[in-house]
Amino acid sequence: MTGETVVEARDLVVRYGSFTAVDHISFAVKRGEIFGFLGANGAGKTTTIRVLCGLLQPTAGDVRVAGAGYADGETAIKIRVGYMSQKFTLYNDLTVGENLDFIASLRKLDRSYYLERRSDLLNLISFTKGLDATVRDLSGGIKQQVSLAAALLHDPEIVFLDEPTAGVTPAGRDRFWKLIHGIAERGKTVFVTTHYMDEAEQCGRIALMRDGKLVATDTPAGLKSTAFPEPLYELDPVARLNPADVAAWEEHEGFAFFERYGPRFHASPLNAEEWQRRRPELERQFRIRPVAPSLEDVFLRIIEGPR
Amino acid sequence: MNFRWRRAAAVARKEWFHIRRDPFTLTLALALPLAMVIIYGVAIDFNIKNVSLAVSDFDATESSRRLVDTFASSDYFRVRRADSPGQALQDVVAEKARAALVIPPRFEKDLGAGRGASAQVLLDGADNSTVGPVSLYVQTIQTLANARIAGANPVAPYDLRTRFLFNPELNSRWFVIPGLIVVIMAILSIFLTALTVAREWENGSMELLLSTPIQPIEIIAGKAAPYAGLGILAVAFVYVIARTAFGVPFEGNLLVFALGCLLFLATYLAQGLLISVVTRQQTVAMQLSMLTGMLPSNLLSGFVFPIASMPRFFWYFTMLLPARWFMVIARRSFLEGSTLAQLGVPLAALGVSCAVMVSLAARRFRRSLE
Repeated sequence: MTGETVVEARDLVVRYGSFTAVDHISFAVKRGEIFGFLGANGAGKTTTIRVLCGLLQPTAGDVRVAGAGYADGETAIKIRVGYMSQKFTLYNDLTVGENLDFIASLRKLDRSYYLERRSDLLNLISFTKGLDATVRDLSGGIKQQVSLAAALLHDPEIVFLDEPTAGVTPAGRDRFWKLIHGIAERGKTVFVTTHYMDEAEQCGRIALMRDGKLVATDTPAGLKSTAFPEPLYELDPVARLNPADVAAWEEHEGFAFFERYGPRFHASPLNAEEWQRRRPELERQFRIRPVAPSLEDVFLRIIEGPR
Repeated sequence: MNFRWRRAAAVARKEWFHIRRDPFTLTLALALPLAMVIIYGVAIDFNIKNVSLAVSDFDATESSRRLVDTFASSDYFRVRRADSPGQALQDVVAEKARAALVIPPRFEKDLGAGRGASAQVLLDGADNSTVGPVSLYVQTIQTLANARIAGANPVAPYDLRTRFLFNPELNSRWFVIPGLIVVIMAILSIFLTALTVAREWENGSMELLLSTPIQPIEIIAGKAAPYAGLGILAVAFVYVIARTAFGVPFEGNLLVFALGCLLFLATYLAQGLLISVVTRQQTVAMQLSMLTGMLPSNLLSGFVFPIASMPRFFWYFTMLLPARWFMVIARRSFLEGSTLAQLGVPLAALGVSCAVMVSLAARRFRRSLE
């Protein structure tokens, strides 16, 4: 990617009392990227995003977001970014129009500019219910899209989406991601956290967080090849396995990776010799076929704990 | 930090939309003053009249009849004949009477002989709310009866004449209704604002507000404004009812009274916001506003229970309550016609508590956002 850097974190630290939520993380995101943030709950994703949105002063380290940092005041950051938080934040008892009017006033948007942006964005999300629709009456997916429009109202350089598709139907998630791609194509930077691996696959780059630390930052393909230098196999049980056998394999020291994957298992041997030695025994219990690692495998291996 | 009216106005507008669509808020704002006026102004009468008095007259002489007649002819007592002292007592026990008068057989004889006659009055001491005034009536009537029994030409060494200033008929409604303004304002302003910020935290919409360049002071001003409007409306409503339906005079200066209203309103709005900021939960905020707003303004402000008769500690404690000071301003404005200078102390006290509460709420709010 050749664009300029629009988001940068240098040695960022956030502490709440004695608890370190974000522990010396550094990364840079370029214009037009879709940058995914992955990690278990409590890994520090939301905290990092709140710092980047101007909502939380870091304990140490520095951020630059669209050319502004905390030295310029939080407001300098807030006017440059759009933020859609984890919780649904529009007012349920107000109409779509009233909600958008309210946000436009808070951001002091010029009236004619606002009206133009509003119709653009409502077009973008193909919103047909009308501005008089009360937010409470919208479906979960539509609510999230209106939220997105609200976050984009002031045409920010960067938009931060914290689990934007939580609780949305698969079709709704699909539509939402089409919008994300559309925004990135317009040269905006999208920063997104998610729990869904299929969504993570759609990111240009992914940062993996664990216990406040950044453990890896790469493209989805890059992450897979670094996380799995050895080949990965899918093991499909021939017959029903008893739990003791499964436990034995899971604890087996010949594997670098052995995880349940629905009714099957994904396993990666420590090395080729080990694999040749174990293969006959495995073939009595499983049908074996090589597979490409998915992000879920990467996630399990890097985030849930190395063996 | 630069205050922007447009953002504060946007918050106020949005808050108004919430109020309009929330039946609870509007009902509370409209029904509460009405209900309070009906309850305190019509249903509850602090003037105790027609106390039923069981009388057992064993003497049945002219003197004893004069004594009984004095009771009977006053507005305060309704006489109920009892055949024996035992039955008179029975009537009090059975709550058919609230007091009993027992006159012994030798009443007039003792009087005539100058031996110091005596009659007995029994009061229901279990009913604390009436026993005070009733015993006061008994004393007054005794003086009156003494004069009548002694003869047409009583030779009193002096005549103590009492005249009640400001409320010549001692109409308790004149006293209660101006106080109602204080109580209604206290409840409305504290309850409604206590819920408003807590609601934003609960919904997560606080995060939306904060992600925009809005300043804390703009949120506070915008949120307080519509509730201040409702509060002023409620005061105006009670004022009109007081003047028209109950004929309470307003002797003071309307502007001075309005100044007191505004200071008091600002103080309690700030207190509501403070509660809301601290608790962040609507249910807790509700209870806390009950405890710190409604109870003191009802019980410790001098609304019904006189501050002068409180134990020393509470007497000083009430000095901290804005409601106590506003109570003084409201009553004296209505009944005594006090001027700005005469209300200097309560106004200053209210001003100080207002400044303290507003700055406390603003600071606490700003800190909670960091």
